[in-house]
Amino acid sequence: MSGEESDFNQSDQNDWLEIDPQTEIISVISPDIVEPDVIPPKTEKDDKNKNKNLNLSPGSAAKRKKILRALKDGVDVSELQSFAINRGGLLTNELRKQVWPKQLGVKLSEITPKPDEDMLHGHRDYDQVVMDVNRSLKRFPPGMDDDERFALQDILVDVIMRVLVNNSELHYYQGFHDICVTFLLVVDEDVAFAIVEKLSQKHLRDFMDADMDRTKHMLNYLYPIIDKASPQLCEYMERAETGTIFCLSWLITWYGHVLNDIKHIVRLYDFFIACHQLMPIYLAAAIVLYRQDEILETECEMCFIHSLLSRIPDNLPFEQLISKAGDLYLQFPPEDLASEAEFRSQENDNRAKRQRANGVAKLHQWSWRNNIRWVSTHMPNYGRRHYLLTTAVAAVVTAALCYSTTDWGWIEWNWF
Amino acid sequence: MSSHQSIDQSREVKPSSGAVKIVEKQAQRRIFKIIVIGDSNVGKTCLTYRFCSGKFPDKTEATIGVDFREKTVDLDGEQIKLQLWDTAGQERFRKSMVQHYYRNVHAVVFVFDVTKMSSFENMPQWIEECDRHNLDKNLPRIFVGNKCDMKDKIAVNTNLAQKFADSHNMPLFETSAKDDEKANHVDAIFMTMAHKLKNAKPMMSPHMSRYTPGETREVINVRASPHHRGLQSINPNEEKTDNCAC
Repeated sequence: MSGEESDFNQSDQNDWLEIDPQTEIISVISPDIVEPDVIPPKTEKDDKNKNKNLNLSPGSAAKRKKILRALKDGVDVSELQSFAINRGGLLTNELRKQVWPKQLGVKLSEITPKPDEDMLHGHRDYDQVVMDVNRSLKRFPPGMDDDERFALQDILVDVIMRVLVNNSELHYYQGFHDICVTFLLVVDEDVAFAIVEKLSQKHLRDFMDADMDRTKHMLNYLYPIIDKASPQLCEYMERAETGTIFCLSWLITWYGHVLNDIKHIVRLYDFFIACHQLMPIYLAAAIVLYRQDEILETECEMCFIHSLLSRIPDNLPFEQLISKAGDLYLQFPPEDLASEAEFRSQENDNRAKRQRANGVAKLHQWSWRNNIRWVSTHMPNYGRRHYLLTTAVAAVVTAALCYSTTDWGWIEWNWF
Repeated sequence: MSSHQSIDQSREVKPSSGAVKIVEKQAQRRIFKIIVIGDSNVGKTCLTYRFCSGKFPDKTEATIGVDFREKTVDLDGEQIKLQLWDTAGQERFRKSMVQHYYRNVHAVVFVFDVTKMSSFENMPQWIEECDRHNLDKNLPRIFVGNKCDMKDKIAVNTNLAQKFADSHNMPLFETSAKDDEKANHVDAIFMTMAHKLKNAKPMMSPHMSRYTPGETREVINVRASPHHRGLQSINPNEEKTDNCAC
């Protein structure tokens, strides 16, 4: 791991949370703080109608009013962040349009204009982006007219390419399109570009290296969190060699790739924008822990656990899980897990190296190993002992013969 | 018939104090792990989906990381489970993410897009990738040219592909996951692979279910999960089971 931006272990939580974690977060992520805090708003008539149209509960309507007031009063980002984190998040896309840019410090008047088409289409990642966007039908609302969707897909390609062209150090990864489409379904093209560009420089930066080493490193935080919360589950999953790829798409698409309901996706985006870049991993841990019983009932083998976990049921209690992820973050902050994550990274690297080395030797050793296997499987117990004993005796006799027939005079014994 | 039903039919449940004890007669079920690789957008997901679920997916998406699908097939009375690992095609994933999935594979399916020359030209890199992960050269490998329904766009000549396949000692199949008429063809490709695996004496022994034929075992605290492979047994009446996890 290198580079300042990636050094999330040492980064101050406040850089990401922009509110005092010890005081504010504990209160804001508690699931029942906001909802019961229902003060029937002294709303004007049109405001009431608006809430009715938006289908908001009285608690949410009150929260909406608070958010609107915060927006009107001037930019207090920490207040907006806490609204984004706590129950219900930013509630509606109408609020998201206003709050997301403010959370990320996007100034609508300073958005870089779109480069010309040749620049966008000439980029090294252009073909890959087009292929992925063409295949992203699932991400658009089911009732959307084909022409409208085609137009939006063209815009999506432009949004992605603008980010890449403006930031030559960034590399496209499959899944980045899932992030961009989410924003494009809520805000317009220019704002979507500006938001995604900011995120690419902060939360998503590590995913956009030329390789995925830093992404892999982030995934290595998963097991230390699970281990602290449930050692039994961690041991089971590790015994199955489950690995972390099942949650790769959760992390790098902020769950956009795996959830079916856009409402859940944008709610999570509220949360992630306001939090540390590792928060998707804490949420992954919360989901895994929530599904603990199912996992322990599944056979202890990678394919079955991978298969179970890689599909997220639509009916998960997301608010509860968000709250749990926040609790896990506070209990086991990244800096406390950094050394263990680093250790796991090294372990994985060593395992890969061993695997390669073993493979090279495999062809030579295969027949030898098979002989041993044959012996151990075909010989009865006493025979196996006999075989080993014979081998040991033969080794001693050979050594003795060698010793007796070798001229040891050339060794100077004082070497030892 | 789901695999779950077949499990129920083949076991005898004897309630006992405290835990449910199940006495069952299990036959051997071999499991083969097959990895499907190739460039992005060549149709790896569609091919595996077509084989596992019998249809072309409505809405395809880029694969991020690795997807798992499986299907049990009946070969000459033996139930064989094929586990298909569908991998992401983008280079960055194959370089650092997919290695874990090369472990203990029994066969490899290389896929290219017959309408896209670059996906064919990149094949040596994929073969090198396998070599780098030390996959045994004797493992069954097949070479699949997908999207051959797009007849007017074909860019990779069959002779060229055949030559390449021959030089790497692989059979070549040209097919289309999309074309319903070719659905049997896709099945046949994977069944050929299954036959090869069944009849070959693989270097790495195939994964076995944990019980040997005719063996009687007690299993305590059995869960009803259909994924619980330890409980899967062979029912002679069982048809092909499809447990596609698509």
